[in-house]
Amino acid sequence: MKIANLMKTTAFALAAMSVLGFAAPSSAQDTKSITTVVKISGIPWFDRMETGVTKFAEQNPEMDIRQVGPATADSAQQLQIVNDLVATGVDALAVVPMDPDILEGILGRAMDRGTIVVTHEADNQTNTHADIEAFDNNDYGAALNERLAQCMGEKGKWTTFVGSLGSRTHMQWVGAGEENAKKYPGMELVDPNNESFDDANGTYEKAKEILRKHPDIKGFQTSAGNDVLGVGRAIEEAGLAGKVCLVGTGLPNPSTAYLESGAITAIGFWDPQKAGMAMNAVAKLMLEGKEVTDGMDLGVEGYESVTVTPGAGKGLLIVGNGMVLVDKETYKDYLF
Amino acid sequence: MRFFDGHLTVLIGLIVTLMTAGAIVSDGNYLSLFNLQSMAGQVPEIGLLAIGVLLAMCVGNGGIELSGIALANLSGVVAATIAASFFSASQDPEIFSLIFIVVALATGFLGGLLNGLLIAYLKITAILCTLGTQMLFIGLAVAISDGRSVRVGAPGPLYEIGNGLLFEIPISFLLFIGVACIIGFVLRYTPFGMWLMLNGSNPKAAEYAGFPKNKVIISTYTVSGILSSLAGVIIAARTINVKWDYGTSYLLVAILIAVMAGVKPEGGYGRVICVVLSAITLQMMSSMLNFMGLSNFIRDFAWGALLLGFLAIGRFRLLDLINLQKHAISASVRSPHVQK
Repeated sequence: MKIANLMKTTAFALAAMSVLGFAAPSSAQDTKSITTVVKISGIPWFDRMETGVTKFAEQNPEMDIRQVGPATADSAQQLQIVNDLVATGVDALAVVPMDPDILEGILGRAMDRGTIVVTHEADNQTNTHADIEAFDNNDYGAALNERLAQCMGEKGKWTTFVGSLGSRTHMQWVGAGEENAKKYPGMELVDPNNESFDDANGTYEKAKEILRKHPDIKGFQTSAGNDVLGVGRAIEEAGLAGKVCLVGTGLPNPSTAYLESGAITAIGFWDPQKAGMAMNAVAKLMLEGKEVTDGMDLGVEGYESVTVTPGAGKGLLIVGNGMVLVDKETYKDYLF
Repeated sequence: MRFFDGHLTVLIGLIVTLMTAGAIVSDGNYLSLFNLQSMAGQVPEIGLLAIGVLLAMCVGNGGIELSGIALANLSGVVAATIAASFFSASQDPEIFSLIFIVVALATGFLGGLLNGLLIAYLKITAILCTLGTQMLFIGLAVAISDGRSVRVGAPGPLYEIGNGLLFEIPISFLLFIGVACIIGFVLRYTPFGMWLMLNGSNPKAAEYAGFPKNKVIISTYTVSGILSSLAGVIIAARTINVKWDYGTSYLLVAILIAVMAGVKPEGGYGRVICVVLSAITLQMMSSMLNFMGLSNFIRDFAWGALLLGFLAIGRFRLLDLINLQKHAISASVRSPHVQK
């Protein structure tokens, strides 16, 4: 019995050892490392980003480049990962913050320690060397609306959806859309800024109401990722696919069916793959001690001529032209 | 109570194993001063919550504390809102920090008291009560902060609590160990601690023995609430901001730590030193997985495996026989931790 117990203990310790201790690549001191930290791993958006990070790693075999992210959507878990990475002495961090405010403290300490910090989707981050945004929000909103106007024949009633009235980027997009629509006197905005709360079902109900209230409505411009799905379903069920135009932010894979049926005219987004590459490209430039200047080419599609302005803190705000607008014909290039 | 029981032995063994394995996989970087400090700085917030869970479990009646992290965030949000409306963090850092800490602890006190009163007098099962108050605390924090993060800033003393070092040890870690020692002492050497444990082992007997049962339950949950708010202070100090949804995963991790430490979910038994070591073990393990660049899903898997392993140890008393031999040694050489 005694021996059996001893053996069990030993087995347990060995098992723990083998689970925890199996060989990990130890990075040599001279190779520079860039680690991308995403909000959450295992979701399509960041899986797509990982393909970009992998691509960048292939282009730069002399560097140690990888992507990590928490298993649960919790800013505390992301904070812990960043903490540990800073302790490992990684040379550069490319972070997509879950909550920019929560990471301020550790990113500040990372910068004090000489780590290069690059962020994405966080134009209010103060402790970063550079924040990269895929596009200018006003340009994006205007581009969505321009596509909508084209589809509507530049006239008719149209309305807008936002995730919530408190969502700053969504309000910027529809605001720029309204500005753009002023070019076309035939376009009439009705009941604007419907709140969708990024819930496809709620959006569906609301879109049905709008279709009843305005039977002659011709266009929808939506903002949150699931809005196109809700509105698209309402349009399709009303038998209006192809007759009512719908342009909004969305992802290719979930939208496939509605794009095919014509319920969704076009979707806009930015490609996380390119964003991941751009972040790593900027981190690499900074590791080499080079400056990122206005109009520079990062060598990534959509970031060939970036706008560089001072950011929220001491760092830079780098804005690309990475918006992608796809319709029935072109979405197949971006399946994620 | 023997000092080296199964859980303590295994936990110490694991920590040694992790240190060795970590040093091997990272070329020694894992044991660098910076990383040790970084890991120690991450333990307190979850460790304090886990001690809260230990207290709630020990007091019995199906005791559990699910509102911990919600109360921690609420304390931070309330304290940041109140302190910032009277003082500026940059101009009067000392007063700001003091007000922040006092308000946060007061919030934790009230939140814990509410839990205690509901459980003791309304006889609501702890799991339902703390689930309810958890939602209440989250809702309050969202309402007060409008769902946004509230900026605390980096006022001198408060920032030091979260990020400062004393003799190269993070102050937050020292604070955590200090609190753990106090709780451990109270549980072991005061009548209150004895009532708490005995109430957990046999509530009926405790009642007939004339224990101030309700008072014990109320004080236990109140202390647990104060611990949560202390975690909230440390979170605020570390992250410079507080938000209602910070650390949503902590809810289950805190329970995991307590169970790994051998705290009996049915009440009556639990050791603070084991909870401290268990929190350190989990921290070291997740840091090491991050060092190795492994997916975070593996961490969940490893935690699950550890939990099951520890449950097996508790169930089959795997280490009792080895301990009999060690016991003779530990009795003669009593380490200072023995009071915990």
